[in-house]
Amino acid sequence: MTDTTAVEPGSGNEGVVDLPQGDLAYRMSHAAPNLLPGELRAHPDPYQYVIVAVVLAVITAVEIAVSYTEGDLPDGLIVVLLLAMMGVKFFLVASWFMHLRTDRPVFRRLFILGALAAPALYLIVLATLHGVLSS
Amino acid sequence: MATIEQTPGELGSGELATTEADDHEAAQVAGDTHTGVANAKLGMWLFLASDCLFFGAFIATYLLYRGRPGQAGPTPQDIYNIPFTSVTSFVLLMSSLTMVLALAAVQRGDYRRFRVWILATALFGTTFIGGQIFEFTEFTRKGLNIDTSLFGSSFYVLTGIHGTHVIIGIVWLVSLWGMSMQNRLSQGDAERVEIAGLYWHFVDVVWIVIFTVIYLLPK
Repeated sequence: MTDTTAVEPGSGNEGVVDLPQGDLAYRMSHAAPNLLPGELRAHPDPYQYVIVAVVLAVITAVEIAVSYTEGDLPDGLIVVLLLAMMGVKFFLVASWFMHLRTDRPVFRRLFILGALAAPALYLIVLATLHGVLSS
Repeated sequence: MATIEQTPGELGSGELATTEADDHEAAQVAGDTHTGVANAKLGMWLFLASDCLFFGAFIATYLLYRGRPGQAGPTPQDIYNIPFTSVTSFVLLMSSLTMVLALAAVQRGDYRRFRVWILATALFGTTFIGGQIFEFTEFTRKGLNIDTSLFGSSFYVLTGIHGTHVIIGIVWLVSLWGMSMQNRLSQGDAERVEIAGLYWHFVDVVWIVIFTVIYLLPK
């Protein structure tokens, strides 16, 4: 989007447009071209999306394979491997497909808050109730 | 010499009033928002953050009751069909790809491809729900009902609520497809598609957790 603010010829300021870059009014009404509201950078292109999907498919296949090693590998190792792969898949979908890597940080902070608060809260609940139910 | 005294408070409030007026005008231009981001998108992210806690409650309940001894009915080892659930999980995962391709298409103004990808996403979602209905039917046939045991209750409630989310997403996607068919969805409405996409990807992300924690982790 180009601005059409006139600049006096011969003033030495040709090509320089005096816009209030830090002003909310400017930011709200002069979005960068092809960007949706709340985006800082353009979305990935379709080719990159396909690459991410292939990576997700491969990780899922490895996850399933690892789950079949129960009895051959220690349970603790299987749990760590599966949770790590789950975390990578979660990260890939959230950052690439949900565009958290290209959107304003406020969205990322909100989602991280929810995604971290949930396991933290319920680990506490689980630990408490597990003790109560066991006794 | 006479001087005009102006307190800092007076000056500050005057500047503030001007700035607020400018911001208000800008907000009107940009869709009535003072945060610098679209209200609808911010609202969706807030909802998704709260939905994390919602699903977290049911996942924690499942984990709490799954391994408890003395429960009636079949155990997870008796009834889970990992190959079948893996296929439906893969289908849901790939629906996230078609969703972002639909968004990319509408941003380019390629409405024909948008309709193809959004319909493919809805069809993948429907396939997933079909698989879930089949799985529930099989489990019931093997003796696991919602009232059989705590494991049964927590399993059906968790996966059922996720399935409900998927069904809501399918309705949303089909409505976008219908709007596009009626030429009521333009390149300028890409944000509406993105918000529907956020919801859809969240449903996928939740299933990534459920699939690993409920089905794959050692019993």
